[in-house]
Amino acid sequence: MESSVLEDNILTQDEREILQEIMNIAFGKSAADLADVIDAHVELSIPFIKSMQIPDLPEYIRSHVKDYKLINIVEQKFWGKFRGDAILVFSSGAGKALIKMLQSEESKSFDSEPIDILESETLMEVGNILIGACVGKLAELLKDIVSYTPPMVLVEKEYSEAIAHGYYDHDKKAIVLKTDFSFDTGNVSGFLFLVTTNESIMWLKESLNTFMDQYE
Amino acid sequence: MILNQIFDAINLGIVVLDRDLLVQKWNRWMEIHSGIDADKMIGKSIFEIYPDLESSKFKRSCKSVFSFGNFCFFSQKLHSYLFQFKTSSYLGSDFEYMQQSCAMGPLRNEDGEISSLYIYVQDVTENAAYQEKLKDLNIKDGLTGIYNRRFLEARLKEEFFRYKRYSGKFSMVMIDIDNFKEVNDNHGHQCGDFILKMVSARISSAIRNIDYLIRYGGDEFCCLLPETGLEGAYTVAERFRALIEFQDNNYDDEIINITISLGVSTICDSVDTPEMFIQKADEALYKAKKEGRNKAVAMD
Repeated sequence: MESSVLEDNILTQDEREILQEIMNIAFGKSAADLADVIDAHVELSIPFIKSMQIPDLPEYIRSHVKDYKLINIVEQKFWGKFRGDAILVFSSGAGKALIKMLQSEESKSFDSEPIDILESETLMEVGNILIGACVGKLAELLKDIVSYTPPMVLVEKEYSEAIAHGYYDHDKKAIVLKTDFSFDTGNVSGFLFLVTTNESIMWLKESLNTFMDQYE
Repeated sequence: MILNQIFDAINLGIVVLDRDLLVQKWNRWMEIHSGIDADKMIGKSIFEIYPDLESSKFKRSCKSVFSFGNFCFFSQKLHSYLFQFKTSSYLGSDFEYMQQSCAMGPLRNEDGEISSLYIYVQDVTENAAYQEKLKDLNIKDGLTGIYNRRFLEARLKEEFFRYKRYSGKFSMVMIDIDNFKEVNDNHGHQCGDFILKMVSARISSAIRNIDYLIRYGGDEFCCLLPETGLEGAYTVAERFRALIEFQDNNYDDEIINITISLGVSTICDSVDTPEMFIQKADEALYKAKKEGRNKAVAMD
């Protein structure tokens, strides 16, 4: 059971539980704020925490999205003491559904835009908001402030095209926080993976312990 | 003090808005490109000066910055610009306004609360102009400036199936310059190029906005006529033919008269693919050539 040994190495049972709790609070708050910003209710599932070696990540993500014919990915780095990558995977057709949801009232001004540009821009905007809401709240509870890189987007790709296996650093471990989300309007759902890498794991453990101390 | 100097020296527009979206800061770059001094901006609502900003995307972005410290991005591709600034033309580009890549993010006070937001504005007109140029190179013919065959293949497929689905009218005219080889042989290839340019310019001037003129190959052109049936397309073809026949081409003080032959086809039940559509027009063109050239033939 190599993986369980590994997990024990990264987070203790207590730390895992408190992280779970913080994420529950953070994502609950995010959902409320999101409703205010994009006029749609977003259902965020109870987050799931898993530690793994970075090279195992593509397979882990694939196992969750394997039912999607094509996928849309928005990826963004977040950078504070809490740092890593946010990977948001939408099911196919999400871009067009989101365009309908967000831009009905101003669709006129976008008439001349080819639909593929509109689609990728819309995915980017919604992805950016969703990632910002989740990461931002989580960081806030852990008393951190993060910055973000502009989002990158891949539209309607096969999984094998979308995830580059060679890209990941083989020596690194990651804590992967996974949640699935769905919008109440439009047929849009998917997964959010937050991958926090080595550099911030020590900080994360400390912050979790500080957070715990508040209640002891 | 130093930061203030950087704020004004940097080649980037920076604006700071408070929670009511009133302007708090307006840097030198913004002054230069807007022509409005900072003291005229500060304290005013940004929407008062730039009413076009009041879109739902912009307001949504401000909200997400203030509610969860989000960073928002406004790409040039979709928005062209946030602030409408006149631009001196770059590379002969057609942009009337500066193309901008913009972003917005939170600014916090000493207590860590988000008290205002910043917007930065980057001038990307030059890049956007390059992109437009590349796009043009990809779909236009270098010599004549009309669309090329690559464009035809992509566009024809889209239009063809759209018209098939909605049973609309859609026709095509295939055009060939008569005895073009003789022009090249007798007057040289530069004269041949001149004739190609003249023919495409004249036909271009005679088509509607919704039509497409394409250089199909050497001296062959193709004109796509949406919303046009066979009869209408034949009339158009006949007009092209007369236009070219009765025009003198003056090359090096020598008058060169040329004629064209044209084949017309239209979408109908027996035409199932874009290839068949082209083939039909080709057959009509062949018939026109066989019947003595300087002629338009329609094939239904």
